[in-house]
Parts: sequence; structure tokens; C-alpha cells
Amino acid sequence: MTLFAKPLKRALSAALAGSLLCGTVWAQDFPDVTAISLEDLMNLKVTSVSKREQKLGVAAAAIFVITQDDIRRSGARNIPEALRLAPGLEVARIDENKWAIAARGFNGRFTNKLLVLIDGRSVYTPLFSGVYWNVQDLLLEDVDRIEVIRGPGATLWGANAVNGVINIITKDASATQGGLVSAQAGTGLLGSGGARYGGKIGSSTSYRVYSKYFKWDSATDDAGRDAYDGWNTGRVGFRVDGGMSAVDTYTVQGDIYNGDYGETLTGPTLEAPYTTTFRNDGQFTGGNVLGRWSHGFDHSRTSLQVYFDRANSAATSLLDDHLNIYDVDFQHDINLSPSNNLIWGAGFRSTHDDAIAGTYVQLNPDQRTWNLFSAFTQDEFTLLKQRLRVTLGSKIERNDFTGFEAEPNGRVLLNISPTQSVWGAVSRAVRTPARTEQDMTLSAAVLAPSAETLGLPVSVRVLGDRDFKSEDMLAYETGYRVNLGRASVDAAAFYNRYSNLLSAEPTAPTLDLSGPMVQLVAPLVADNKMSGATYGSELFAEWKPITAFKLSGAYTYLRMNIDRDADSLDVSTPDPAGVSPKHQFSVRSAIDFGKNVQQDFTWRYVDSLTGLAVPSYYSLDARLGWTPVSHLNLSIAGQNLTNNEHIEFRPDFITTTPTVVKRTYQVMARWTF
Amino acid sequence: MKAFALRLAVFALMMAAAVDVRAQNLGSTESSEHLIKAGYVYNFAKLVEWPAWATPKGQPIVIGVLGNDDFAAVLSHAVDGKKVDDRVFVVKRLKSRDPLKDCGCRILFVAASESARTDEIIQFQNASSVLTIAEAPDFAKRGGIIALTLGEDSKIRFAINVDAAAQASLTISSRLLTLATIVHTAR
Repeated sequence: MTLFAKPLKRALSAALAGSLLCGTVWAQDFPDVTAISLEDLMNLKVTSVSKREQKLGVAAAAIFVITQDDIRRSGARNIPEALRLAPGLEVARIDENKWAIAARGFNGRFTNKLLVLIDGRSVYTPLFSGVYWNVQDLLLEDVDRIEVIRGPGATLWGANAVNGVINIITKDASATQGGLVSAQAGTGLLGSGGARYGGKIGSSTSYRVYSKYFKWDSATDDAGRDAYDGWNTGRVGFRVDGGMSAVDTYTVQGDIYNGDYGETLTGPTLEAPYTTTFRNDGQFTGGNVLGRWSHGFDHSRTSLQVYFDRANSAATSLLDDHLNIYDVDFQHDINLSPSNNLIWGAGFRSTHDDAIAGTYVQLNPDQRTWNLFSAFTQDEFTLLKQRLRVTLGSKIERNDFTGFEAEPNGRVLLNISPTQSVWGAVSRAVRTPARTEQDMTLSAAVLAPSAETLGLPVSVRVLGDRDFKSEDMLAYETGYRVNLGRASVDAAAFYNRYSNLLSAEPTAPTLDLSGPMVQLVAPLVADNKMSGATYGSELFAEWKPITAFKLSGAYTYLRMNIDRDADSLDVSTPDPAGVSPKHQFSVRSAIDFGKNVQQDFTWRYVDSLTGLAVPSYYSLDARLGWTPVSHLNLSIAGQNLTNNEHIEFRPDFITTTPTVVKRTYQVMARWTF
Repeated sequence: MKAFALRLAVFALMMAAAVDVRAQNLGSTESSEHLIKAGYVYNFAKLVEWPAWATPKGQPIVIGVLGNDDFAAVLSHAVDGKKVDDRVFVVKRLKSRDPLKDCGCRILFVAASESARTDEIIQFQNASSVLTIAEAPDFAKRGGIIALTLGEDSKIRFAINVDAAAQASLTISSRLLTLATIVHTAR
């Protein structure tokens, strides 16, 4: 019976991945589950974990799941590279340690409308509203899946889940038993090594510990100069999962890390030529610990999650910030009847930070504590013999910056036939102010003296403002899915209306006599005077003519019409339409040659970013994986194989020098025991 | 841009051809949970022994599924043509109002939505020597035989109430017991 278990398991996982995406499994594709031994069945994972996630998987939202298999086969070296696998995301590398990642527009290094969570812990920093992508890393082998939700998810996840939510979910400790050692090296990535060991404590508790270190070389800017953007990071962490029975389960996990990075930074000076470009060093350190306890009752399940996260980012010349976050979340899923499920929950988060001003950035006050209370309820019921699924819910939050915020949504999904479904949704989401938008002073530029400036240099300062409100969005979405077993298509379209978007309003210049040089100060104050609409669509199709071959393609289309309000005087904020690609296109092929050789190709096209002078580009990546003996996997991978050297993004704010993406190769070995 | 549009068109054509490949549908399910649970039910059938009176030679093993027709469809497909001791399987979909004693079941699968009927199901199990498998997490603790539940780690786990199995005159193989969480009826 166990002889065929391995290939069956593989077939099963493939079928399961498809079912999660499309909500239907085809009978003729059913693997023969009776041929799987009980022991193997016990190790198989159901692809949707909690009610909450299962709902999104089959319900009315644009969701894509990147599996562990996808990540491994893509040859991704870090999380941003893995995110390139998701249709609808814009992933642009700025330099070796910086990325701009967004969904449905508004891309930038400080993308503020995309919420990112790792195992339920938000890694969206409340400091500047965005994600430090260089800080977010894991042993990629421990990632179970990455769920990418395009469009708002604020009813469940709260503020800032405006244009999308990324959930990075790691494996249960029971799924990572035994040892693993992996090593990787190549062009760009000088070296990366990871080790993990997992074991059991008693019969009902599993654990794993891991460590990882990597070092990247610096790359060059578009003039061929070394841009000093090399970096390295070391991290160690653990995860413990246990439970006396299925009724009570718990998870405790944590990580600590330390990283050093470099960059070429351009900042203003008061003397000619009024800008200076220099090599700048930065460091990030931190750690987190999270506990989750889940208890099942007759018709319901409760879950309580608590975490602490400390993040220190010493961005020399800019800001040295020490951030502590304490978070508690409670959730209760209740099965009111077979056709009616209710979830409610409540949460509290307290954030404290302590900032040391740098040359260009300061926060006033330098220390601040702010709290967030939230509660949500959502009901999902089915009608028309379970063919129509309706979801209604809302979140209410109270934050110290803007007070109460409501984030309701209504969703419907109709199964037209066993293979086809359509869905639609209307939802509201808000992006709450970041600490910087409240309290920051940034020296953005110095304008040369002229007659109009009385012969004085003009220092342009970007200022936060306590009156800055939340940005609002109302989203209208629709989608269609068809799954014919060997072929499936998932299409989504959206129309988003935004108001109260961030603008930088000039106010009257003042004369500054305090410094060694007399200067005029021209303030640009954070305000809410931009609005408009975006629309677009995403199409994903997959074709598996045979088990050993899979071809998939994605197309993303985006239009943005965002403009200043009539009463805005903002002249500095760039048109967001110019920083996100209008078209993106990708094709992936995955082939198995027998049981031991896997070959993958990815071809991507990204349209030009007209506002940043970034031309369109395409890139071809390939990977060849070989398992010569069980427990050992070897692979070689290449990125940008056609050597189409390109810049992917130019920072619009905090001007670090972007570097060129070149052809790279690397080799990798992974040994499990 | 023109070359790009052409490539797009070629890809769209290719996909249209692919969609045409096949269309024969036997049923649908929302997640892999049903498939995996079907595997469990088959394994349980192999590793449990009924008293001789309950399993005359040549009679099919009837599996009743209460409260989840989607699962019944998946299970029916999974055990189709399979045999245990020369006996084939028959999967019956039971409606909420169907009296249990008329179903002729040797195995009864109870969906989470039917948890309210637990006491009635336990009476039936003891009277008719039926292997009961339920999704309610507390089913075995309350006197049912097997609770088959989805754990937080997204794996399916099962608990066996050995007292209840003995009371229903079922013999459970030691292999199954070593893999199960053993529980006793709460008193």
C-alpha cells in the first residue's frame, strides 16, 4: 500500500492546490486516496487552515496561493522574488536590499496600501506605513504557502488592507521534523546557508529551530558605478506546535535577526551644488515572539493570539527608530447552522517608538505611544441550495490618530455550475496615518538661491501634521472562475474610488536664522487633497495536459486616474499612474522529467513606468532541479538569462540610487536527514 | 507593443484550446478535506472488525453519510470498486430526518452540522454495532467511537473511544489504536 504513496501524495497536493483556487475538484482527477496508508494520510495537510482562510479561498475575493512547491521550483532567493509568482502584484527591485511591492497601483518603496502578515503577525510598519522588505525573511523551506489577496481585506484584517493583503504562512512544526541543511551561492548572492532541526517533545508537541545567514554583493547603478548596496543578515528562530487533542491546540514561535546594509543616498545640502550623494550604512535588528491558542467547542472554535515585536532600524543619516508592538487578538467562529457561519473578533494593539533624529529626518516628539482597538463581525450564509454564498460584515476600529473607522464589506458568490462561479464585492477600506505623517520633519531638497528667494537657499521640508486624516477607498470588484480539471481560468476586475489621499500642501515660507546659515524654509505639509479612481483586471490561466507538465500565464492591466483636489496647491506629489505598470504579463512552465528532475521557466514582461523614466523590460528565469539520491536535492538557477540589463524602479522619495538587474546564476544544495 | 499584443493573442488561443480539452464532471468539493477524510474512512473500514452477525458473507458494507452530500459523493467515488474481505462498499446519503435504524449501515459518518443528534447516534451505535465517525471534536468524549477532526496544523486527526467501541462489540486493530488519540467516555 505504501509503495505508491509518494507519487500519489504529489498528485494529491496538486489536485488540492487547484481545488483551493477554484473551489471545485474534478472527479476524474481524484487521486486514489484508498491507496494511501493511514500514516501518510496523517501527514497530509488540508489546504485551507482555518475557517477564515478557507472562506477566502472559495469565496468572493481575488486570491492567489503561492505554494511551497511553487517557491522551490521558481528558484526564488527571498520573499520578494517569491511574490513575483502571484499575478496582479507589482514587484520591482530598487537595489539589492530594497523593493517596491504593491497590488493594484500606488507602488513605491513606501507602499502604504498593502498589508503583510507573517503567521498572523503584521509586518507593516506603523512608522512610515509600509514594509521593510529587507527585514522580512524566513527559511524559505519552512514556508507552507503565501496567500495573496488583491483588493481590500479590511473587514477581517483591519486598516491598511486597502489594495491587498499578503499572508505568509509557515509550516506546522510537525511538518518539519528531522534535519535540513541548505546552501546557495552564485553571482550577486555571495552565499546563503540555512539549517533547521525539528523534533518532538512527548507525543503531542513538535518543535523546530532554524538559523539562516546570507550575504549579497553590491550591484552597479546605470552608469556602471558600484552602488554600495551589498548587505547581509543572520537570523535564528523557533516554532512549537502542540495540543492534547484536536480540541485544544497551541503554537509558540519567535525569531531574532540582525542585518547590515549599504546604499548610495542623495540628500540636500545648504551649499552648492545643493545635493550630496554618498555611501550610507544602515542596520536593522529585532525580534518577535507569538503565541496562539485555539479551542474547539460543539459548534464553534475560539482562537486567541498574542505577540510582541521589536524592530530597530538604524538608517544612518535618516532616522534611528526603535519600535515595540504589543498585540492581542481574539476570534470566535460559530457554526450557527450548516448554511450559516458567524465570525466575530476583537483586538488591541499598542505601539511605542523612540526615534533618534538623523541629518535629514526627525520625529517630534521623539517618543510616542499609540493604541488601536478593533472589533469585527462577519456572517456568511448560503442560499439557493448552497449555490449562492453571501458574506456581510464590518470592522470597527478606534485609533489614536483619527478616532473611529468603519470597514464594512458585502460579498456574493454564485456557483453557476459545478465548474464555474462568479462573484462580486463592495467594500470600504482605510489607510490610517503613519507616525511619520503625523510627526515627521524631512529635509527633502534645497533650492539654489535666486533673486526671488532674496539670495537665500530654500530648504524644502516635508512635514507631518496631526490633522492628517485616513485615506479612504470604496472598492467594487467582480470575478469569474472556471475549473475544468486540466485547465482553469481565474479572472478578476475592479473599480476603486479613493478620497482623502495624501498630498503635500505648500504653506508660507519662513526665515530660519537658527542655523549657521540663514535660509528660507518652504514647508510641504501632509494633507488629504488627492482623490480619484483606478480600475483594472487580472487574468490567470493554468493548463496541465499531463501530470508532468504545467503551463500557466497571467496578465495584469491597471489604469489610474488620481488627481489633486480643486483646493490643493500640491506640485510635488508625482502622478501615481506613472509609477505602476499599465500592463504586466508572465508565462511559467513546469516540467518533470521522471521522478528526479524538474525544469522550470518563467518569462515576465513589465510595462514602462513613465513617471520614473523606467522603460519596459522582460526577463527570463530558469531552474533545473535534480534529486540524485533521496534526501539530497541539487539545483542550478539563472535569472534574467537573456541579459536584458534593466532598472526596475527609481525611488520617488528618500532618493537612494537604483541598481541594474543583470544576468545572475546560482547553485543550490539541500540535504535533509 | 505590437509584438506583445501578438504574443498575448497566441497565448489566448492556446488557452482557449486547452479549456476545450475535457469536460466530465462527477461532483465537486470545496477543499481537500473531503478527499483526505474519505481515505481515513476506507482505512477505518479495513482496520475494524464487526461481530459475525453484523457482517454476513457477500453482503456489501453500507456506509451512511449524514449531513454532507458533497462528502458522500467524494467517498462514493473513492471506495468505488474497492473490497474488504470480498465485500464491496455502498455509500448512502442520509437526510437529516431519516431514521437511522433503517439505513442498514455498518459505518455511519456524521457531519459537523449534525452534532445535535450525537446522543441519538450513540444509542444507535450501541444497539446496532455501527462504527460511528463524526466531525464534532467532542464526539468520542461523549461516547461516540471515532472523532475525525481538522487540527490547527491543517492535518486530519482522529480520536477513538475504546470504551464505546467495546460497548458496540467492535474490535479495533492495534495498528489503528497506536495511531489514534485514545479517549474514554467522560463520566
